[in-house]
Amino acid sequence: MKGKEKGRRERPGALVPEMLKNLATPAATEPYPAVHIDVPAGFRGRIEVSDERCIGCSKCSLVCPTECIEMVADERDVAIGTKTVKRKRRPVVHVLSCIRCGLCEESCPTDPKAIYLTEVFAGAYGERDVVVR
Amino acid sequence: MPEVEVSIGPQHPALKEPVSFKVIVDGERIVRLDLDISYNHRGIEKAAEARDFSKALYLIERICGICSHAHATNFAKGVEVLMGIEAPRRAQWIRVLVAELERIHSHLLWLGVAAHEIGYNTMFMYTWRDREIVQDLLEAISGNRVNYGMNRVGGVRRDISGPLADRIRDGLSALEERALAYTELIKEEQTLLVRMRGVGYLSTEQVVALGSVGPVARGSDVPFDVRRNDPYLGYGDIPFDVITSKHGDVFGRVEVRAWELVQSVRIARHVVENLPAGELAVKAPRIAPKGEYVSRYEAPRGELLHYLRGNGTDKVERLAVRTPTLANWPSVVAALKGSVLADVPVVVAAIDPCLSCTSRATIVDLDGGTTKSLLWDELVAYGRAYYRQKEGVG
Amino acid sequence: MSVLYLLLFPGFLFLLGFSFFAEWYDRKLTARMQNRMGPPLLQPFADFVKLLAKEDIVPEGAPARLQAAVPVVAFAAVATAFLYVPVVGVASWFGFPGDLVLVLYLLTLPTILMFLMGWTSGNLFAAVGSLRAVSQLFVYEVPFFLAALAPALILETWTVSDVVAAQSAGRWALVLAPIGFVVALIALQAKLERTPFDIPDAETEIVAGPLTELTGRKLGLWHLAKDMELVTGSALVVALYLGGPTLPGLALAGVLGGAIAFATFFVKVLLVLLVLAVLKAALGRLRIDQLVRWGWTILTPLALLQIALIAVLKGVEWL
Repeated sequence: MKGKEKGRRERPGALVPEMLKNLATPAATEPYPAVHIDVPAGFRGRIEVSDERCIGCSKCSLVCPTECIEMVADERDVAIGTKTVKRKRRPVVHVLSCIRCGLCEESCPTDPKAIYLTEVFAGAYGERDVVVR
Repeated sequence: MPEVEVSIGPQHPALKEPVSFKVIVDGERIVRLDLDISYNHRGIEKAAEARDFSKALYLIERICGICSHAHATNFAKGVEVLMGIEAPRRAQWIRVLVAELERIHSHLLWLGVAAHEIGYNTMFMYTWRDREIVQDLLEAISGNRVNYGMNRVGGVRRDISGPLADRIRDGLSALEERALAYTELIKEEQTLLVRMRGVGYLSTEQVVALGSVGPVARGSDVPFDVRRNDPYLGYGDIPFDVITSKHGDVFGRVEVRAWELVQSVRIARHVVENLPAGELAVKAPRIAPKGEYVSRYEAPRGELLHYLRGNGTDKVERLAVRTPTLANWPSVVAALKGSVLADVPVVVAAIDPCLSCTSRATIVDLDGGTTKSLLWDELVAYGRAYYRQKEGVG
Repeated sequence: MSVLYLLLFPGFLFLLGFSFFAEWYDRKLTARMQNRMGPPLLQPFADFVKLLAKEDIVPEGAPARLQAAVPVVAFAAVATAFLYVPVVGVASWFGFPGDLVLVLYLLTLPTILMFLMGWTSGNLFAAVGSLRAVSQLFVYEVPFFLAALAPALILETWTVSDVVAAQSAGRWALVLAPIGFVVALIALQAKLERTPFDIPDAETEIVAGPLTELTGRKLGLWHLAKDMELVTGSALVVALYLGGPTLPGLALAGVLGGAIAFATFFVKVLLVLLVLAVLKAALGRLRIDQLVRWGWTILTPLALLQIALIAVLKGVEWL
């Protein structure tokens, strides 16, 4: 069973030195949620809609791969630059179907975007009305 | 002892996804093996026919979690060929970068799972800890740890900036160090070697006859790699080695994947150092003209084929997906003949099975002509009666 | 008075607490060696309480009373075995001449009971696991008994307490029979069915082996019995080879002496548990045929060699 290959012996417990060294080093895991975890910029997290900026063009709803954006009737005057637009509809996102692909954000014509992905990565909450909107 | 049928699956701790082996054993020795797949059939090929290319891309990406970029890229580049457009070079190289990072991710995950199947949990923990390096890199590049969403028809969606390139370089150095450590470890650790050497041996002729692809074929000294045989994206211009092993057993497949880890790091580094300038995407037309195309890709598990047929609309007329795992299942049945029960998880894990990728086909029996549906209570009663009859219980 | 010793210390309650602590210690060490955090101190206790609250299911066709009795008998066997191992001071309160044989017998019971439980479960995986458990029993039991016998042979007594007393007056059996110590540790790992010998409980091959159909209270009790076996086995090895709760040449009397003796015992058991944890984390699982081959070609011959050496050295009156 034993053999020599390039000077390294076959032996049981090849990882033992590294294991014993790890007893003295801090753990690689973090006790989330007791500690805060950072995400990089551009992370695709939970979706948000900004009511003040949306002009109701429905592009997001058309582009969404899971068709989870529903346009509901909602009238509002929205200011864009110096003009004011009368909006007829606004998007409601079925958050549990959202795959966070970001196509809606890409297709949104306003600047800053009216529909966008935040950096909130947690998808589970204790309250129903936070998750199901 | 008489022959006993042990069914491994569809639910079993050895399997991460449902598949059914009916193993006929005599004591511990396997006499025969029957295989049942398709438990994860979700009707994706049909669903893709109802969605335009942009939406279908996100559907295809979710065929599998680990090879998601493989499926998405393969589909995107296939549609681009149908449309007669070509993604810019920068986009192609970024696709290669994410593809190789995905390969590193997949192989590290697999090394851990293979160790876990043998009960060697320390290596499992170490490889998954190192996998976090590549997960963080992919998260920084694409915004998500799985299902990267990097592709669009015509190119990619996100760019690699300067600071990001530095971060990738640092991550790749750390990964290279760990990958080389694993290539040494698999040769040294005796409890791994006794479980892997001589187990599940397939000769070169057998592997070719069974149609195996990927590390399974390369582990039996068949130098078949789509990146070399039929270069796509930027692979024609990037230097790399095709890794083969002469061993032909599970150890050979492990060795191939461990060295492919090192190769992927080197390819990724080459891409980051030499990323060509240019656009991220070309504008794709809405419809694809009539035509058909087979798009090939070297996924972490082997050769992935997408057959696409366009008919002048904004949807595919037919999409057929042949994944590498589907091609590798016959090799499992052949390799396990004459082995012992304890080798089943090892040999199954050695092909790196991705059941979600496996099957897209349903067999429909047209002769019967009748349809039937079972109510929930009937289904439960049927299940109980089946169990009673099978186990001979009262 | 002896009832208090039986129920509190060093009897039942102490063994319970020590078992939970030993399981935590083992899991924490394994986790830290794998670069993880590991569970908090009360985790094993929490697991036990959780299991007590779970539904208790017996498969149809399995003898319910037998299945319910097996964990209780295993628990009782291991708890009784612990009584004869000295924890404080040179002698155990319940020791009697020849109790080493009783302890070894009681420690064999859990495996046989596990076979019984798996075989009658009506589950195929459990049946295969039971067969493996018994095959493994034949492999490690001989070396374990021989390794336990070695100090008894050197010190010419069959009583655990007398072995400890003899070591406190002279040298540790570890020095006199080092091969036996190594064989004892490896055979103990096999007896406890921990990696690399966790073949009956090979999760990725046969689900949970004989324990597949065990649920709720029965599983909690069985798990506790296994922890107690870990403690008892380690304490036995400490008593036989490392001098138990004594230090050589040191006379320990009174309350302070008792406290030092207990601390000595505690540290020694922790050291043995450390070795067992490293063994568990450092190796992969063997196949049953490989274990049988290795056990009979290496482990048992080593144990026999140790016994032969002792016989020879006693003959020339070195020992």
